[in-house]
Amino acid sequence: MTELLSHLGQGMGVVFFHSVYWLFGSIPIPLNVMWCLIGALVGTLVGVLPGIGTVATIAMLLPITFGLPPVGALIMLAGIYYGAQYGGSTTSVLVNIPGEATSVITCLDGHQMARQGRAGPALSIAAIGSFFAGCVATVLVAALGAPLTSLALLFGPAEYFSLMVLGLIFAVVLAKGSVLKAVAMVLTGLLLSMVGSDLETGAGRMTFDIAELADGIGFANIAMGVFGFAEIIRNLELPAESRDIVQAKITGLMPTRKDLIDSAGAIVRGTALGSLLGILPGGGAVIASFAAYTFEKKIAKDPSRFGRGAIEGVAAPESANNAAAQTSFIPLLTLGIPPNAVMALMVGAMTIHGIVPGPQVMTKQPELFWGMISSMWIGNLMLIVINLPLVGLWVSLLRVPYRLLYPSIIVFCCIGIYSINNSPTDVLISAIFGVIGFWLVKHDFEPAPMLLGFVLGPLMEENLRRAMLIARGDATVFFTRPISAVLLTTAIILLVIAALPKIRRRRDEVFVE
Amino acid sequence: MSESVTPSPQGAGGVSEVRSHNVIGGTIVAVLGLALLGFSFYMPNTTMVPRILAVLIALAGIGTAMGVIPVQGPRDFYGGLVLVMAPTLALISSAELPGQRGFAFGPGTAPRLFSLILAALGAMVAVGGVFAEGPPIEKYKIRGPLLVIIGILAFAAMIRPLGLFPATFLAFMISILGSTEMRWIESLIAAVAMTVFCWLLFVFLLGLPFQLWPRF
Repeated sequence: MTELLSHLGQGMGVVFFHSVYWLFGSIPIPLNVMWCLIGALVGTLVGVLPGIGTVATIAMLLPITFGLPPVGALIMLAGIYYGAQYGGSTTSVLVNIPGEATSVITCLDGHQMARQGRAGPALSIAAIGSFFAGCVATVLVAALGAPLTSLALLFGPAEYFSLMVLGLIFAVVLAKGSVLKAVAMVLTGLLLSMVGSDLETGAGRMTFDIAELADGIGFANIAMGVFGFAEIIRNLELPAESRDIVQAKITGLMPTRKDLIDSAGAIVRGTALGSLLGILPGGGAVIASFAAYTFEKKIAKDPSRFGRGAIEGVAAPESANNAAAQTSFIPLLTLGIPPNAVMALMVGAMTIHGIVPGPQVMTKQPELFWGMISSMWIGNLMLIVINLPLVGLWVSLLRVPYRLLYPSIIVFCCIGIYSINNSPTDVLISAIFGVIGFWLVKHDFEPAPMLLGFVLGPLMEENLRRAMLIARGDATVFFTRPISAVLLTTAIILLVIAALPKIRRRRDEVFVE
Repeated sequence: MSESVTPSPQGAGGVSEVRSHNVIGGTIVAVLGLALLGFSFYMPNTTMVPRILAVLIALAGIGTAMGVIPVQGPRDFYGGLVLVMAPTLALISSAELPGQRGFAFGPGTAPRLFSLILAALGAMVAVGGVFAEGPPIEKYKIRGPLLVIIGILAFAAMIRPLGLFPATFLAFMISILGSTEMRWIESLIAAVAMTVFCWLLFVFLLGLPFQLWPRF
């Protein structure tokens, strides 16, 4: 326990006391707090735009973090993440357009509350619930971080490979859509990651003798193309919007005492559910918010209130998705395995800064590890501090018509990609991936598994090669080493279960709801 | 695995009506398959596997265009076929890489291994698209997506020779043409505002080295 506290203390130290002095060295400015604040602010700014989800937001804002030192960049990214998520909830409540899957359920009661003139309490209870969930989940991440990391250090290449297979299968099974197609997408990502020089021999692979491909396809290019550009193109296809913005002036931001009492239990239960489900790879946060809502409805004295503006219906899913969003950092930070698309983006950002996520981060760069965990808490605090007073600003942003928004986002993305390497080719590659992403959606392929595969590709290949070399070319090694065998067997069982017709139908229902 | 790419037509009498989109789609698939085949002969050291795959893709395309393959779920069918084409291309382009030597993987081993698995999965998706009924392919609206892409490409082409201000402004104006509700004056003002904002953010605040105006 004391160890835990001292770790968190170390993290807070990184976040708070890394200052530069401004105005002739008289006023200390905690730089990392500032990055977190800016991140949360711009994250909300973009996340609030209807139709632009968390992943797209992070992909678009990725380039502006590249100029910062590693710790600052990751802290800013964490801020962007929470901001984007909170922005999505704001849109759900005010416009009834969920920015992404995790805030779909918030629309139900949140928007009803807004129509009854209680948008203020709905938004603030979402922020308070998120903050509480964030506090609990931060401690959980810190507590689970050390033991899981020491476990991961026991892993050899064979175990690592199997673990990654399991992680990918988990992510595929728990996400929406066809499992077969998602696995195909993972493999597409793996193949894409192999374009460029071979790690061991330096031989150019699948480059078609194009010089720009010799270093491989940039991670940011794929992310920006498939999530940023493709999403904008797809939104353009939708019929001219009929947005249902709540026009009433938002008054009485703070929830009443009764609101707080009503939602306290829901927040606690949502946090518990979210923390548990978030550790699972895949759509942890999505499932968590659905589960929390359903659970609240089940145990409510009067379930008919739900869907008509029950405050618990906002508090529970919002707490749950925030807790889950946070605990999904656990597999990434301890095992180096991104459980979902957002975490895959984080891996990409870390790699660009020369950090290989995994168990060695905690031992070799403790200030980064604990700084990031503490910044999660700060990020949540920022949401309360900046977002509640700024609700009016977000509302006015929602009134900007899409026809003006999308060209702005396009040029912003273009400059962002170009600025990474000062390379026009990068912009071109992103455009190509924008078209690919658009096509994928038309054919019901989810782009997220592809990104996961792309990020994990180099690690998987490296471990596969090493495992095979150590085992002297014997492929059965993955099933003769006990830990690896258990992991792979679990993966196979999961796939079989997901393929069973009964489970498949149930799964479809869960995601359609 | 590879033989499953061309699913056997369901009985001789099972030839259903030929839908126009299947003629177009099938022809595109056939052309791409033949192009892959041609490419495989152009590239040195290509093995038999990608050539067989390319032939099978072409056959699947011809079969669809002629109505021999009754496609029930076009989204999955064409999607799956593309996921066979992509690894075929990967197989052709990684053919000359050395493979396994003794116990050690060569640089070409993993790409070929994963390509084959992906081709198998793609074929399974495509076969599923033949037998399982699925929604039709959504219509593609041309104007918006095309102009957005042109805008992005224009930015890529202009940023070096013209500099940040003209490139941003023009890319904005091109992509805004993709909207059917575009209004000129409003758009011009927004384009100027966005250009200034991007300069403020990227050049002034983040201090990134951009060339702002054309150099003569």
